[in-house]
Amino acid sequence: MRGNDAPETIVEAKDLTRSFAMPAGPVFAVRDVTLSIRAGEHTAITGPSGCGKSTLLHLLGCVDAPSSGTLMFEGKEASTLSDRERSLLRLRHIGFVFQRFFLLPMLTAAENVELPQAEAGVPRDERRRRSLELLDYVGLASRADHRPSQLSGGEMQRVAIARALSNRPRLLLADEPTGELDQATGEHVAALLDRVNADGTAMVIVTHDPALAVRARRVLTMRDGRITEDVSR
Amino acid sequence: MKHLIFVIALAGAFCGVWLHAQESTPTILVSRQLAAQEGLNVGDAVELATDERGGKSVAFRIAGIYEPTPDPMRLGAVPREVRLHLPDLLALTRDESTPEGTEHVEAINVALANPEDASAFAAELNAKMPGILARTTSGAAGSGTTFVVLERFHLAIAAVTILASTVFLLALTIMLVDERREAVGMLRLIGLPARRILVQVLLEGLLIASCGAVFGLVLARGSEYLINAFFQWRYDTALVFVRVTPSVAAVCVAIAVPLGAVATVAASWALLRRSGLRLARR
Ligand SMILES: Nc1ncnc2c1ncn2[C@@H]1O[C@H](COP(=O)(O)OP(=O)(O)OP(=O)(O)O)[C@@H](O)[C@H]1O
Ligand SMILES: [Mg+2]
Repeated sequence: MRGNDAPETIVEAKDLTRSFAMPAGPVFAVRDVTLSIRAGEHTAITGPSGCGKSTLLHLLGCVDAPSSGTLMFEGKEASTLSDRERSLLRLRHIGFVFQRFFLLPMLTAAENVELPQAEAGVPRDERRRRSLELLDYVGLASRADHRPSQLSGGEMQRVAIARALSNRPRLLLADEPTGELDQATGEHVAALLDRVNADGTAMVIVTHDPALAVRARRVLTMRDGRITEDVSR
Repeated sequence: MKHLIFVIALAGAFCGVWLHAQESTPTILVSRQLAAQEGLNVGDAVELATDERGGKSVAFRIAGIYEPTPDPMRLGAVPREVRLHLPDLLALTRDESTPEGTEHVEAINVALANPEDASAFAAELNAKMPGILARTTSGAAGSGTTFVVLERFHLAIAAVTILASTVFLLALTIMLVDERREAVGMLRLIGLPARRILVQVLLEGLLIASCGAVFGLVLARGSEYLINAFFQWRYDTALVFVRVTPSVAAVCVAIAVPLGAVATVAASWALLRRSGLRLARR
């Protein structure tokens, strides 16, 4: 189906394996996964608990380094980068959304969104403007000066999504983004993620929630560290 | 020109030789404490005797009231003392068998206008008068005396205190850093390099340690005042018990600030190495 004009590959994993040394012998969380994520793609990863979804997401997002195999990020070898280089790659090119939001409690919503830009060296005025834009985008313009403790779970997750988009990443990774939310709020967040994807950001979402998985155009199913199914619609 | 004051310590009485002439009723100086306890005033007439029953007493007039030189060796003994002119003291204390002018003195203290000259003065005196031994007070105190031992004891207490508080500080910092595990993990996940966070933590550590040092110095200064005020009142003395000198303050800051910074970084180190992933996995 994909010709020469197919969207460019953002992440390309080849024979990716991640094992953890344990007293009772190594635990293979991810085994020989070969996978590519293209620009603008909307992918969900599902599977039973402990099958390696989060570990794979961390490898794709350069949070963790593989035990073996290679990972190319936008055409550059990423599996051998130093911790510092991986950190900077995450900061500038990858957005993360987690189940538990992870906002800094002492900062306001706008400051939380500004933080990754500040670290990336974006000038003050520009990052302030972009943060307000992003908060407007996620429907929280009026809550810019509120602290996380003054926001509901759904609102915190929307701020976290705004923060993930802060440095205009081409890839957004989300681990159970609706896991802490009730159904209605979860749907609201899922719709927001759809919109982020429709606006051009490639997205990989790890989820147990079938309602969230069916929104993706591509669904990967994992079992025992391997991808057992890769269905695109 | 050296202006000298001779002070003779003899049987609990102090005597000053003043360079001006005596008057008809010999005069004395009375210590502040004695004057206060006995209700004596300048100009009062008193009688002094060497004999407990008051025999062979001599009349004196109080010419002044003086603050006794504080002496840590005599702490707790309220100085009920008078100072006499040397000839009066000799006349008062000489027994019949001793001819005038043959009295025996074991030691005299000499206060110099400029204490810096002490060593040179002692050396000069020793060279000129082979019969006597002149020493500076610090030389006379020597090593191994009470105060040198006390000072070593203080140093040992200080070392133990610093060691114990370092352990306490480290435990406290580890707890505080641990409380920020989630924030640090989050910063690592969104892509702040470990070193960047470490620098931040170090700066915070330095700031907190500096504030702590300043607080400690203010506290020390306050307690310096209170401790001195209390013990000066308690022992009725002008003795200074505690003194926070600039060099003491400098040593405190020089120990506290780096220690605080090192403790913060040490406490953060392990956390920083793994926190991002651990947090993401929870
Ligand atoms: N740091 C680690 N040390 C040892 N084993 C680990 C570590 N991280 C993950 N594992 C193991 O790897 C396997 C995959 O873990 P992972 O967290 O990726 O699963 P998951 O699919 O995300 O599960 P869940 O749906 O419950 O979040 C599990 O068996 C887990 O115990
Ligand atoms: Mg998981």
